[in-house]
Amino acid sequence: MSEDEFYKKAEVVKLDTLSDVNDIGKPWRYEEDGLTVTRTSPWSPPGCHPVGCGLKLYVNDEGRLVKVEGDENNPVTQGRLCPRCIALKDYIYNPARLLHPMKRDPKDRGNADAWEQVTWDEAFDIIKKEYDRITAAYGRESIVVFAGTGREGGTFAPYGTMCFGTPNFCYTQSGYACYTPRLAAIAYIAGTTYPEWDYAGALPGRWDDDRYELTECLVVWGKAPLESNPDGFFGHAVIDAMRRGTRLIVIDPRVNWLATRADIHLQLRAGTDTAMGMAWLNIIINEDLYDHDFVEYWCYGFEQLAERVQEMPPEKAAEICDVPVEKIYAAARMYAQAKPAAIQWGLAADQKTDGMQNGQVTVDLMAITGNLDVPGGQILPGTGAGHNESGFGFEKGVGEDLQKKMIGLDQYPAYCMIILNAHADLMLHALETGDPYPIKMGFYAGNNLMSCTSMEPKRWHDAIVKSLEFCIGFDTFMNPSIEASCDIFLPLSTVAEREGTVFTHYAPCTVTAGFMHKAIEVGETMTDFELCYELGRRLRPEVWEEFDTAKEFMEALRLGRREQGKYFDEVSKNVVCQIPVDYYKYERGEMRQDGQPGFATPTGRVELWSTAFNQFGDDPLPYFLEPEFGPANPELMKEYPYILTTGARTTAFFHSEHRQIAYLRELNPDPIVEINPKVAKDLGITDGQWVRMWSPFGECVEKARITETVDEKTIHAQHAWWFPEEDGSEPNLYGNFRSNINNLLPNDHYGKLGFGAPNKCLVCNIEPVSESYDTDMDLIWEKFGKLV
Amino acid sequence: MATYGLLIDYEYCTNCGSCQVTCKEEHAYPVGKTGIKVLSDGPWKIDDEHWNWNYFPVLTDLCDLCATRTAGGREPMCVHHCLSNIITYGPVEELAKKLDEKPKQFLMVPQFNPIAAKGEFVPSGKQKHRAAHIEVQGTGKASYAVHRHDTKVGEIDETDELGE
Repeated sequence: MSEDEFYKKAEVVKLDTLSDVNDIGKPWRYEEDGLTVTRTSPWSPPGCHPVGCGLKLYVNDEGRLVKVEGDENNPVTQGRLCPRCIALKDYIYNPARLLHPMKRDPKDRGNADAWEQVTWDEAFDIIKKEYDRITAAYGRESIVVFAGTGREGGTFAPYGTMCFGTPNFCYTQSGYACYTPRLAAIAYIAGTTYPEWDYAGALPGRWDDDRYELTECLVVWGKAPLESNPDGFFGHAVIDAMRRGTRLIVIDPRVNWLATRADIHLQLRAGTDTAMGMAWLNIIINEDLYDHDFVEYWCYGFEQLAERVQEMPPEKAAEICDVPVEKIYAAARMYAQAKPAAIQWGLAADQKTDGMQNGQVTVDLMAITGNLDVPGGQILPGTGAGHNESGFGFEKGVGEDLQKKMIGLDQYPAYCMIILNAHADLMLHALETGDPYPIKMGFYAGNNLMSCTSMEPKRWHDAIVKSLEFCIGFDTFMNPSIEASCDIFLPLSTVAEREGTVFTHYAPCTVTAGFMHKAIEVGETMTDFELCYELGRRLRPEVWEEFDTAKEFMEALRLGRREQGKYFDEVSKNVVCQIPVDYYKYERGEMRQDGQPGFATPTGRVELWSTAFNQFGDDPLPYFLEPEFGPANPELMKEYPYILTTGARTTAFFHSEHRQIAYLRELNPDPIVEINPKVAKDLGITDGQWVRMWSPFGECVEKARITETVDEKTIHAQHAWWFPEEDGSEPNLYGNFRSNINNLLPNDHYGKLGFGAPNKCLVCNIEPVSESYDTDMDLIWEKFGKLV
Repeated sequence: MATYGLLIDYEYCTNCGSCQVTCKEEHAYPVGKTGIKVLSDGPWKIDDEHWNWNYFPVLTDLCDLCATRTAGGREPMCVHHCLSNIITYGPVEELAKKLDEKPKQFLMVPQFNPIAAKGEFVPSGKQKHRAAHIEVQGTGKASYAVHRHDTKVGEIDETDELGE
């Protein structure tokens, strides 16, 4: 298939509630009532997963964005929008937005008043001087690029490879417990990337396309798709399917909204998912509910898997998971008998020490029930899918000798090689101890790690501030991480101020591909492509000779073309495209580079007995690890009697972002911890009261919501809270460590392959406090409500 | 003229907040004010298996059904952006038929700023009865604490004061 077919304009599917007066069929840019309307398909910033929801940006003749509306031409979002893009104007023109480069003397780190505006040239000069000094003394490996999540910059590997030339691009969440373990599991087991549920997103006509079959049973496992739009999946597609008749199984320690609509909700103890998955495999195999043909012709190691799962009879899993055994039987049978059926596996899979095994049992379930690469089941990306972002410029930009110095490569090749990232926990040790070598310079790529993506954030804070001689922040707003540790601030463009692309699932499973169009200019900002290109040329001109403009670099990286941006200009007019989808590709040689039938694994089959796991020194078959912090340790439970789970999302915020957007903050003014009514009664906590939570690793305060969404053993706490309305200087640092649930989470408890962390299955204790830290919404409105 | 309203299929309201935020953007309502707000009931358990948990997007006294938009033939902003696509705008008569089609819906007709909608107070100026011109004779007595006309608790003779 030629690439031109990839980027064809998507067919519109009109919503029944949409009026007959609408903008269906309008071009990418048009005039309306004296305003210029630009249709675009945003990624970031503001931070979001790459969903690429359709947007119409209305700009007046002064070049100001006056209105944002959902674009009816997007076949998946169809005009619908979540509150964060609806409030985009309030983000762009927020009085706290930073629009110019700034510098600060390193001895003034942590002083919010010590920043001084500079030109881009001056900022680049300072960076160049420090870069040359530090790399001469310590080598390029002494530079760490802190990766983030969601934003384009957060996963922008060329910052590491081509701009700074360091092997140490590093996402700092312990065990990379976010998405990549799941990607690694399916890559190692089935030789493909993300197996998304087939929600007809790529089919012209969507749900009514002839090739599509409505999913009979959707398993939502450790995931809150409605709020999170996980990895580029439009969350409310679940609602679209439910309204057409899809039935749900929800596996989650929390009773989320979807769980109350499910035929079966398995409210398992946090962190026991792998046991649950093994019990499902046990039932499906022992009751002969599996797809014999698929297992016989396309799977490897079924006998061994069948034997292994005998170790996890449903009765045992029921005890481990604290779920009635008959519910486990009913759910496994419902999933196995529904045709087609699909699993949406969420972040919770990664956030446990046996996260890779959780991923493994999930892939095994998809495979033996015959739901891989079938309509309405799991769509599999073929050989043409994705783009090699993490590998782009790696050889040339880093070089062979430096590659070997990537921190953690020797110990955890299964982790470091698949994502070309330094190992998170070992990076923390390197920052703290200088072992294996000193880390002296840092760059935040779309990341606010001290508020969101790091465990024991004070430890990271201290290590970074102490170890780094020079650090750069690139963002739209000031945040605690940059305030604490940076010497240069660079201003970043938002989606309305930039060109670019957006591929769902970061490209490993592209359903729609979208294009961003620049509608406005604000301040002196740059995009990630522009900064990487401009700064890269300044630091290392020899790496960048092949590109004449940042746009060429973007076109090469994202579209695999080198046509001076003309190809981008051509296809981007389509705004949103459905990437052609095909089923049963493994039968036709479309899953392998060699064009042969089968999967891209050593055996050519889905490896239920994993040769890759075996080679990396892990058990080739799935096993369950009892959470280290939990009932397995009764002594610990005496001091910390509640199971702590964290991280469920809200529509108001993308992780640590959006706290300055008054309309969004109004939806969720305070950090909320959910506590069961019985527990609240026992501890004397009233609804709305502030409580202190503590674990062996640290403490924080949040505001109690007394609710049955959690059971009596479980506490759920919101994450990524800081308070931009407060004093930014140290030690307050925008209140960063006051309500930071990551204070309670550890580093260094990952699995055998280096992946996974117990971030959703810790323990804690809790008590009411007499103080109130309630957000004053009048202050938020006063400080951030008046747009500039 | 037909009355317009919103039909809301609350079976699928997920409390995403899009309706409220888009309403505020459209009307530039400050923090604390909105034309639509999501109320909730639950979660509470109906029995061991089942939950009651419903969200209800309800229209406030600041909902004008996006008069400017609807005048141009477009639907109100909350209808446009609702992530679950559960809000329908139309004449009540048509919406009532849809209401009949499935359970867990409600139909709502808002009134924008209802006190203001009543308009300024304007005295009618109509006076139906003119005071009659009839001569009156005095009783000469002031009574007090009289609960029943046949129970005389006290009486003051005012005849002298009146100087008759």
